[in-house]
Order: sequence, then C-alpha cells, then structure tokens
Amino acid sequence: RFFFFFEMARQQHSRVQQDLRKVSGELFSLTYGALVAQLVRDYESDEEINRQLDKMGYNIGIRLVEDFLARNVGLGRCYDFKSTAEVLAKNGFKTFLGVVPTIANWDQKQEEFSLVLEQNPLTDFVELPEDHPELLYSNIICGVIRGALEMVQLDVKVWFLQDSLKGDETTEIRVKFIRKLEDAVPAGED
Amino acid sequence: MAVVAVAVMSKQNFPLYLKTANTKAEPDLQFQYLVHTSLDVIDEKVSTISSPKVTNDPREPYLGLLYPSEEYKVYGYATNTRVKFVMVTENSSSQSKDSKIREYFKELHDAYKSVLCNPFYTPGTNIKMKSFERVVSGIFQKSKE
Repeated sequence: RFFFFFEMARQQHSRVQQDLRKVSGELFSLTYGALVAQLVRDYESDEEINRQLDKMGYNIGIRLVEDFLARNVGLGRCYDFKSTAEVLAKNGFKTFLGVVPTIANWDQKQEEFSLVLEQNPLTDFVELPEDHPELLYSNIICGVIRGALEMVQLDVKVWFLQDSLKGDETTEIRVKFIRKLEDAVPAGED
Repeated sequence: MAVVAVAVMSKQNFPLYLKTANTKAEPDLQFQYLVHTSLDVIDEKVSTISSPKVTNDPREPYLGLLYPSEEYKVYGYATNTRVKFVMVTENSSSQSKDSKIREYFKELHDAYKSVLCNPFYTPGTNIKMKSFERVVSGIFQKSKE
C-alpha cells in the first residue's frame, strides 16, 4: 500500500513538472516576441534589426554550448561536418527548442547543409507586420548556431533560406562551413 | 441561421473589428448602428451580473440574445477583460441554436487570444490579422449550412 501511494505522488509530481514546462514554453515565445517587437520599435531598418538578433544569438550561443556539452557528456567528438550537423539537429535543437529539424540539401563538397523546420516554437502566434517585409523574425537562431559552433572551433556562416512566416512552405536555415579555427579563440563580437 | 455580422469592441467600447458576411447589399452603417445599440444592453447585463449579491456566481461570458429586431437577432459575449463580441444573425425560418452560437463565440474568443499573442499587435487597435479573418470567414460559412 505504501508503494502505491509513493507511485501516485511520483506520477503527480512528474505531471506537474510537465505542465510547468508547457507553461514556460508559451512564456518563452511571448518573451521572444516582446523582444522582437521592441527591436522593431527601436531600430529603423529591417537589416539592422536582423543584425541585432544575430548578435544576440551569437552571445547566447557561445554560452549555451557550454551548458549543452556539460549535459551531453556521452557525445564524443565530431570527426566530420556531417556528425556536427547530426548533433546540432538531433541533440542541440531538441534540447533547447524541443523540435528536431531535418538535415537536407548537402552540397557536393559536404561543407554546406540545410536545417528544415516544420514547426518553429518561436513563431506560434506571430504574423509579420506589413511594413517590415525583410524582417527575419527568428534570426536569433542563426546567431546561436554560429556562436555555439565557433566555441568548438568551427567558423560557419548561417542564414535563412526560407521562412514560413514570410509565406514560404517551410523554414530552412543554411549552415556553411568556412574554416576550422586553430589556436586562440577569436575576439568576441565588436 | 446565418451569421451576417461579427464585431469586437474594446473595453472602452471602441470598435476593434466589424465584418459582414456581405451576401446581400446591406450597408455596413446599419450593422454599425445595431452593434452600437447592443453595447448598452451588454453594459446593462454586465453590471447586473457583477452586483454585490451575485459575486458568488462565476461570471459567464456568454450573454445570450441581447435583443431581436425585425430582421435580425443580436447576441453578445463579454470576457473578463471587458472585451465584447457581438454576433448578428438573420431571422430565417430555421431555429437559431443557442449551442451553435456559444460555439462560434468560443471560436472567436480563441481567435482573439491568438491575435493578442502576436507580439506585433497592439491591444486596443484594429484587428487585421489573417488568422482572425480566417476564423470569422469560417463562422460565416458554417452558419450558412
């Protein structure tokens, strides 16, 4: 009888934990939305806003990767760019955004790939305003990827190919390998 | 029982949204007038509900039939944030099902919630979002059947 009671308490606890996580997901989307809306008010051009989002993402990425690596001690080194892509999609995105993008469209040299997102948790209730056609709402993600990979000695270029918020069918982020970073960690963002 | 008009009013009674099904060439002005006069009825209903005697009752947002006119019936729904939804239906031969109207109001309320969650929407301004338009068109369509 004691074990039954204990089991009930444990199940209730995990249900509460799940609910808490669900609520904070909405709060996260709303918080990010408030951030972008504020940037839209503060800056004139869409290009500038996109740049700011990328910068913020970069600052998040360089820190986030430490947390990620600490949590995933079991993951070994990536010996090629392909495994980097796998870890990024299946572990990175899964851990922090709760979605797993599909890896697609590798180029011939195996140095460029796309991450295709069916669902984007950042854009749950968002509709872009008409006077900001070039705004890349989720550009922070590109910065995060760039920053995170830089901390593991990979210099990459990350950008949006398709954005469902703009009316495209899916959301597609392109990641391109530029070079391996040797020696000292480069200076932070200027 | 076709829904012919849907309106959303802010807590200060500014119109946030008004759309007609536009099947006939009814001027919008008539509906604006209908919706405006219904506001008085809503305010009356809301103030009686929130009188001190009945504070124990949970406030139900659905207000029901506000008043019937010769050609139309006007229904109301007021949220706890004083945002009001008004629906106008035709007085056709088929009976208006209260449950259906409640359903449509719930859909409207959910659509309004989505509009509010859009970071680019300023509360208290006109609603122009496509997701909301879609729900309203859906209601016009469904109610025709």
